[in-house]
Amino acid sequence: MVEITDVVCSLCGCVCDDIVVEVEDNKVTKVKKGACAVGKSKLMGHGRIEEPAIRENGNLKDCSYDEAIKKAAEILAASRRPLLYGWSSTVCEADKVGVELAEEIGAVIDNTASVCHGPSVLAIQDVGLPSCTLGEVKNRADLIIYWGANPAAAHANHMKRYSYISKGYWTEEGKKNKKLVVVDVRRTPTAKMADVFLQIEQGKDYLVFSALRALLYGYDDVVPEEVGGISKKDLLETVKMMKEAKFGIIFFGMGVTHTRGRHNNIVNAIETTRAAHTHTKFSIMPMRGHYNVAGINQVCTWETGFPFAVDLSRGYAWYNPGEISATDLLIRRECDAALIIASDPGAHFPGESIRHLSKIPVIQIDPFPNPTTEFADVVIPAAISGVEAEGNVYRMDNIPIRLRKLVDTEYLADEEIMKSILEEVRAIKEKEGE
Amino acid sequence: MEELIEGEEKMQTIRLKIKEEVTNGAAKIPVEVDSLTPDKLAGKTEAEIKAVKVWWGNKEENTGDLFDVSVEGEAGSAEEVKIVLEGDLSRVKRIGDGMKAGEIEALGDVDMHCGAMMSGGKITVKGNADCWAGREMHGGELVIEGDAGDNLCAMYRGEMTGMTGGKVVVGGNAGECIAQNMAGGEIVIKGNVDILTGLNMKGGKITIEGDAVMPGADMTGGEITVKGKVLDMMPSFRLEGTESIESEEYKKYTGDLAMTEKKAKGVLYVK
Amino acid sequence: MAEGELLIRNGVVYDPINGVKGEKKDICIRDGKVVEEVKNPKVIDAEGRVVMPGGVDIHSHIAGAKVNAGRLFRPEDGRKGVKARTKVCRSESGYSVPNTFATGYRYARMGYTFVMEAAMPPLAARHTHEEMVDIPILDNAALPLIDNNWMTMEYVKSGDMDLLAAYIAWMMKATKGYGVKVVNPGGTEAWAWAKNCDLNDEVPYFDVTPAEIVKNLAVANEKFEMPHSIHVHGNMLGHPGNYEVTTSTYDLVKGIKPYRDRPAMHATHTQFHAYGGTRWGDFESKAGAIADYINKNEHVSIDLGSIILGDTTTMTADGPMEYSLYQITGRKWTNHDVELETGSGITPFLYSGKSPVNTIQWAIGQELALLVKDPWKLALTTDHPNAGPFIGYPIIISMLMSKRRRDESAEDMHKVIFDRAEYSSIDREYDLNEIAIITRGMAAKTLGLHEHGKGHLGVGADGDVAVYDMSPEETDAGKIQKAFLNTKYTIKGGEVVVKDGEVVATPAGKTYFVTPECDDKLTDEMLVKLKDKFEHYYSVNFNNYPVQDAYVPNPYEIKAPWRS
Repeated sequence: MVEITDVVCSLCGCVCDDIVVEVEDNKVTKVKKGACAVGKSKLMGHGRIEEPAIRENGNLKDCSYDEAIKKAAEILAASRRPLLYGWSSTVCEADKVGVELAEEIGAVIDNTASVCHGPSVLAIQDVGLPSCTLGEVKNRADLIIYWGANPAAAHANHMKRYSYISKGYWTEEGKKNKKLVVVDVRRTPTAKMADVFLQIEQGKDYLVFSALRALLYGYDDVVPEEVGGISKKDLLETVKMMKEAKFGIIFFGMGVTHTRGRHNNIVNAIETTRAAHTHTKFSIMPMRGHYNVAGINQVCTWETGFPFAVDLSRGYAWYNPGEISATDLLIRRECDAALIIASDPGAHFPGESIRHLSKIPVIQIDPFPNPTTEFADVVIPAAISGVEAEGNVYRMDNIPIRLRKLVDTEYLADEEIMKSILEEVRAIKEKEGE
Repeated sequence: MEELIEGEEKMQTIRLKIKEEVTNGAAKIPVEVDSLTPDKLAGKTEAEIKAVKVWWGNKEENTGDLFDVSVEGEAGSAEEVKIVLEGDLSRVKRIGDGMKAGEIEALGDVDMHCGAMMSGGKITVKGNADCWAGREMHGGELVIEGDAGDNLCAMYRGEMTGMTGGKVVVGGNAGECIAQNMAGGEIVIKGNVDILTGLNMKGGKITIEGDAVMPGADMTGGEITVKGKVLDMMPSFRLEGTESIESEEYKKYTGDLAMTEKKAKGVLYVK
Repeated sequence: MAEGELLIRNGVVYDPINGVKGEKKDICIRDGKVVEEVKNPKVIDAEGRVVMPGGVDIHSHIAGAKVNAGRLFRPEDGRKGVKARTKVCRSESGYSVPNTFATGYRYARMGYTFVMEAAMPPLAARHTHEEMVDIPILDNAALPLIDNNWMTMEYVKSGDMDLLAAYIAWMMKATKGYGVKVVNPGGTEAWAWAKNCDLNDEVPYFDVTPAEIVKNLAVANEKFEMPHSIHVHGNMLGHPGNYEVTTSTYDLVKGIKPYRDRPAMHATHTQFHAYGGTRWGDFESKAGAIADYINKNEHVSIDLGSIILGDTTTMTADGPMEYSLYQITGRKWTNHDVELETGSGITPFLYSGKSPVNTIQWAIGQELALLVKDPWKLALTTDHPNAGPFIGYPIIISMLMSKRRRDESAEDMHKVIFDRAEYSSIDREYDLNEIAIITRGMAAKTLGLHEHGKGHLGVGADGDVAVYDMSPEETDAGKIQKAFLNTKYTIKGGEVVVKDGEVVATPAGKTYFVTPECDDKLTDEMLVKLKDKFEHYYSVNFNNYPVQDAYVPNPYEIKAPWRS
């Protein structure tokens, strides 16, 4: 038995890096410290894709890695509008090869941001993002606002490690001297902990942000008695707390990005942060979901200039979420082939998108079977990043951390699989005389 | 070339009918026709037009391989060129993208970016136009007889400025965030609009004959008139009084105060 | 590095480090290094053309967290400068914030082969390295930010210079960094509370002043044989009347004895620190006062931070400064404070010749170059992309070489240029030797890289050569600009990477880093304090903090022994 410390969790955007595990017979046998329940289960491992496989007459038939990779390359090389999608539950090293492959075959490359925090990125492109690292929040924040986010359920360690319950340099008494405000459409477990809970009407976030801004700038006279289900009195009290805080932070979740107003809700949340910043220190941060969704945005940006929804069909990048994003492309039936890596559109995409995916050749690369496996034509099993393979990831505050390898495996890492596909595609194109 | 009597107008009509096999596959891969504007085709023969490259997915194809091409008359300049697009145009993107002169008529629903960056000439869409029609338009005229999608006449991602000039008329409804960051020009929507019309607009004029949702958010200039109902009026506008427009009484608001008083120079008329 | 032999024949060579001032001369390269002679070489005919060592940029923001945040939030910049991939090159995008590939190609096309990334937030050092690996062709290094760190301020307060040195040593190794970077000392920590610091203000809660931070870092830095001095972006950047803060900052290192023949401080993007007046309304150039100081003293070197007119993306670890800029423009603004260490801000900015303030800023950058007498004391930079993108260097070069061009340009600027700047009264014109000094020789020497084969063409130097398509007699500013934008040839490690302005090969660059050698006992004592910081205040674990070797696949290590 070996004990491994400083293990980095490859589950959510918190990327906890203080985990201790025990390894015996090349298997993680115990998670001793640090991980939340879901993280624990990821580290311990569960049922996975055992063998590479190719679909024949409707059934997946086991094959060798070489055969699966060759088949994948043939599909991609022949495609007129291929989509390469996923990338947020793997490491940056694999993402880089993905961008290179996208350039090689004139593909659209998109990542799961387009169905989670893509709206946040669009908002940042309109107004920027006054933000900070999570340690800043831990050490300084005395006002924490969760808006459309429920960390008690979705990011179990967030409050403990970084925000409301954590202890830091100027916050050594933990939550005692902090205030927690929660804005949500329902009384979530997080809301139950709050000093102030603002129950907002579904789809009215945009209006409430604008009202807060008007109040932060001092135009109390124009704001009506009630906005989006929240009384002016409660809004004024919240504004007072914001102004009196020494360091305030808004964490927002998909409750704001995916309701009516979408990315403009985030624009307005950021504008609210800017308005608060005229009084005191104020920051804002999205609650990113997958452990490396921030990372694929980073890689895609430094390599193509743009974070997601990038069309490389002309050999240079054209970026336009809403047009180029995976769900839009699939609903519009634009793609004629797709490679899905480290994600599960089968479970998360709208029905129309999945209907089209089931009609075109689909290649899946993943350690685990999921609903996407049900219609994939080529299935390639991968090593589990953070357990069987190492590599770089970016936490939700864009801090790069290296995942550790804990045990050995026969499975290929995502990066190796991608490189083999790229080589195979190049060989096909060379043969065709390109 | 045949000599023409002075004063007689030359006119060339280029008909481009998309071939069925382009759009009837399992995948409907868009064709991008930014290379087929009057400016770029003026002076070309039918054979030359057939050889002009258009992008279809990740490959460049000859126009003649994707469209049935016929040319009538001749033209000395782009002003004398009319392009008529026919067939299933629902996957034809960038119609009239960047055009400076001449005319395009699209006989059916068109795909995204129709009339984007156009600075002159006229485009008529005899159907609906998908998102980003008239994006960053600087001049000319865009008529959409059916509905327009989201981001009509808006800016490109991250840009400060959307439409700066020209005129756009939509016969039906329009989608979300139309005229975002608009700085000039005029837009008339005969039907209803979805949320956030004129978001962050700085100049120009928008008339909504139907209903609007949260119009004028973050506006710092320009004018929006809503003749129907306003749903979810922004809570950060100041009521200045009433004014009569075309003998009807309208409430006049200024805003958006969420941008601070100094910048809140937008005007919103609501019935 | 390319194997085999290369002969660059009959060029007119400017190699200022070796005192070669425009001599017709052959350059011989074998296995990537300059040699005396070659036997069976591939020949490049440089007949009558200007030949220089590969360019060395002392200060440019090309990789890492804030550069990428700049790209990410400016798709409207990204779509400028898109270029499709070729058989050799990846796709390009961007103007002021080009993607990594375009960054490598564009520098190489200008004849540059080494670029210093000027600000690496230690906690995000892995990010800087990940991007540097993806920048083709260029050799590179990065300067970690060490000045607003709580560890630094606590040692400055307690006066433990040896322990401060031990901390610097550990941070260089942990970040694979090259030298100590200082950005708005104390002010960036204060910004975490939305405040700022002038040079002698007390940093909130830390009981030290920025002046003390700068001075002590300089002292601690010189405890090692560091190739580079401390690299300082001082307080009050961009504020009218800041030039006295600037010279007071220079004064701080007077009397500190550097380890070798270089100044004890490199003061960067000096244009932003050479402002007179009391507000924007009476804003004026104080380039003269700064140049005067530099002319009379030997303990400070500078780089220009010269303005390129047009739209750009400003980005710096100086959070409060970016906030002030955003308040002026109202444009988008990103801020990213980094726990226990530093911060950063980013906002787009348009430098317009119609604006009196921008006009004076534009004049100051060039005035500095023209008024500092000894070109070995200054390097050409635009603080890319802060004062403008690096692809504007050829514009500055042509301005410095042509009084006529400056006069013509001044006519297009706001008329304040004639009464609130010395600009039009300066007649000096740079020659090609001086251009070679400010674009390669000075930077290489100041960074100590000339001892590692950079910035010159002496025997043993790296085979990095730029062949410009111009005669040494050329006086037409337009032609000079064109020649410096796209080389006839750029050779990197003996391999032709650019030919006729096109990139033809994209070898990987090396990453240079410095390993200060510190006594174990001292390090252990320092680590007790540092580990406590990780235990209680950092949000990452101590053992996950240092940059792993995997991030530097092409390392070039420079050891810096403790000075006895």
